[in-house]
Amino acid sequence: MARFHTLYTAVRVEGPLEPGLPMRFSTFPRVLRPFHSPLLGLIGETQIGPTYLGIPGILSLACGFIAIEIIGLNMWASVDWNPIRFIKMLPFLSLDPPPAKYGLSLFPPLAEGGWWLMAGFFLTASILFWWWRMYSRARAIGMGTHIPWAFASAIWLYLVLGFIRPICMGSWSEAVPFGVIAHLNWTATFSMRYGNLYYDPFHMLSLVFLYGSTLLFAMHGGTILAVARFGGERETHEIADRGTAMERSALFWRWNMGFNATFESIHRWIYWFAILTTLTGGIGILITGTLVDNWYLWGVKHGIAPDYPAIPGLPSAPPPGAMKLPSLGAP
Amino acid sequence: MGTLTTVAAVSAVAAAAFIAFVPSWTHPPVGGIQIGPSPTSMIEFSRGQMPEPVSQQAPPPLPPAQDNGQAQAYKNVKVLTGVSPAEFIRLQQAITQWVAPRQGCSFCHQGNDYASDANPRKQAARLMLGMVRHINADWATHVQPAGVTCFTCHRGQPVPAETWFPSNPAPINEFVAKQENWREAADTVRKFFPDASWEEYLLEDTPISVQSSTALPSHTVASQIVAKRVYEMMMQMSEGIGVNCGYCHNSRVLQSWAQSTPNRWNGYSGLKLTQDLNRNYLLQLATIIPQNRAIMHETAMPVIPAREQSPQAGNGLVVCATCHYARPEPLGGANMVKDYPGLTGPAAAHGPVAETTTAPQEHQP
Repeated sequence: MARFHTLYTAVRVEGPLEPGLPMRFSTFPRVLRPFHSPLLGLIGETQIGPTYLGIPGILSLACGFIAIEIIGLNMWASVDWNPIRFIKMLPFLSLDPPPAKYGLSLFPPLAEGGWWLMAGFFLTASILFWWWRMYSRARAIGMGTHIPWAFASAIWLYLVLGFIRPICMGSWSEAVPFGVIAHLNWTATFSMRYGNLYYDPFHMLSLVFLYGSTLLFAMHGGTILAVARFGGERETHEIADRGTAMERSALFWRWNMGFNATFESIHRWIYWFAILTTLTGGIGILITGTLVDNWYLWGVKHGIAPDYPAIPGLPSAPPPGAMKLPSLGAP
Repeated sequence: MGTLTTVAAVSAVAAAAFIAFVPSWTHPPVGGIQIGPSPTSMIEFSRGQMPEPVSQQAPPPLPPAQDNGQAQAYKNVKVLTGVSPAEFIRLQQAITQWVAPRQGCSFCHQGNDYASDANPRKQAARLMLGMVRHINADWATHVQPAGVTCFTCHRGQPVPAETWFPSNPAPINEFVAKQENWREAADTVRKFFPDASWEEYLLEDTPISVQSSTALPSHTVASQIVAKRVYEMMMQMSEGIGVNCGYCHNSRVLQSWAQSTPNRWNGYSGLKLTQDLNRNYLLQLATIIPQNRAIMHETAMPVIPAREQSPQAGNGLVVCATCHYARPEPLGGANMVKDYPGLTGPAAAHGPVAETTTAPQEHQP
């Protein structure tokens, strides 16, 4: 007999279209006439729309559109407006911040970071408007504001990388370029420049919370799916009124590892692990280059990095000239 | 179920096609020798079954020269002086095998007049012979005990398979952001890297420094762009000699010489050797065969597959791979020089000698 599953199902639950709560504090009406999508019904609700834009939503979309246009048109122009090269090279194309010589100048030449500053401004505005939108929608629907505050933690890391740390370092050139490979290269190079980010204790914390988040997510998702046959997916109901689903899942973990979270506290675990990933990560980035220049040497100083014996046959000094420093500041 | 089966079948076919056609695979076991402390993963890996672009075997030496009592018979000899006529012609034959086996003597010599300098390739060969002597005499730290011959780089081709043709600089546009000079026609990801760094570190003598040597800020950390250039240059080195970072460095502290392996000293002298050869020989070579410069700056030419189709089309500059061909020791460390005394000896009178520290006045026409 066909059974209903939420992820992949042969049975599609399709009720009458749901218009949503009556509008109370909204400036604009909802947009997008609701309809059923059988395709999206495979992975979630079949109903699409209506949605609410409001002032922050419209501003966010507009700013985001401008930012993407600036980035995309710069990339396209850099391959002579050739559409095939644009698609082929897209992962490698980038829009880079101004070189170090322009410091924190707000008006470097367009070709040397001017466009980057503009794109960064509009992207940041778009993200902040989206945050406002999340906050006001949560309020309008009478929810708590947990989601916007979690989003704010991610925005903190974004702002540290592209705005706060560059200002502390006195140069936009310290910020991250736009581009697929470009920002990955930036990440690897950043770690290499500052003596290996793995020795940064806040980077360590961030990784703990990142991997911890995925572990908790898998444990929680697995637990709920496993007790769905007892009504466990009605989690909020079981928080207040324990049923056999809650009892069984609690028993499972208690019998496995001697301890179990509750139906309520597991969500706090996951929420804080996720928030702390970017919160600690942002601190780790912010103190790199401002307070610490070489994390490996910092680790040696504080007993984190072990000593190894020198390799046999090693000359006693580097080759002459090898320790010479290039002139800094260029390019 | 029909959809699931279709999706699974299409995925399986796609995965199989990817495995069969996209990367060139090597299969386990991949041998390795540990060369550093246990937790550091400093391992020299064996090459596995990767395809070889060139012969990795040293050819057997030609039979010893028979001294037929002939007096100095060869005119206009400027580098291979102090060599008996019999040995001279034996070395000429060996060079033909090493460099122009299909083209023969006339690749460099003008008709039957072997003394004539009319063919610019002969002048190029003379310059290159001086270079070989210079390397064997003055760069013992890097090339001893094996030494170098023409075959070390050429491997039976008039233009070595691994050379570097500098890319055209990206066109300058006042209004839009500049791009990295990705080498779009490359056939591997690493050859796709911009070569801007090669000019800084393999042609010009730019000091290499990325990390600070103090824990707290000392304002010596290289900028993002400089660090990226150093990384790109190191990757050509890594690929060129067929090793990973741990062959020389302890990756937890790339900068520290005290935690490196002795190989890093060898690598450093190799960088200096490469700079010397590029500045003092290869740039000059490009002026002897002038069309090379033009070829080097055509966008269609810089990539290796196109060049392999027309091996005598031009020369480039040398990189680590030009001699090493993805081996820590070219030709497995075989000493070919001992069989050809003409390849050692003074080079001073016949070309630039010692390592110079001044950058070339102009290397971009």
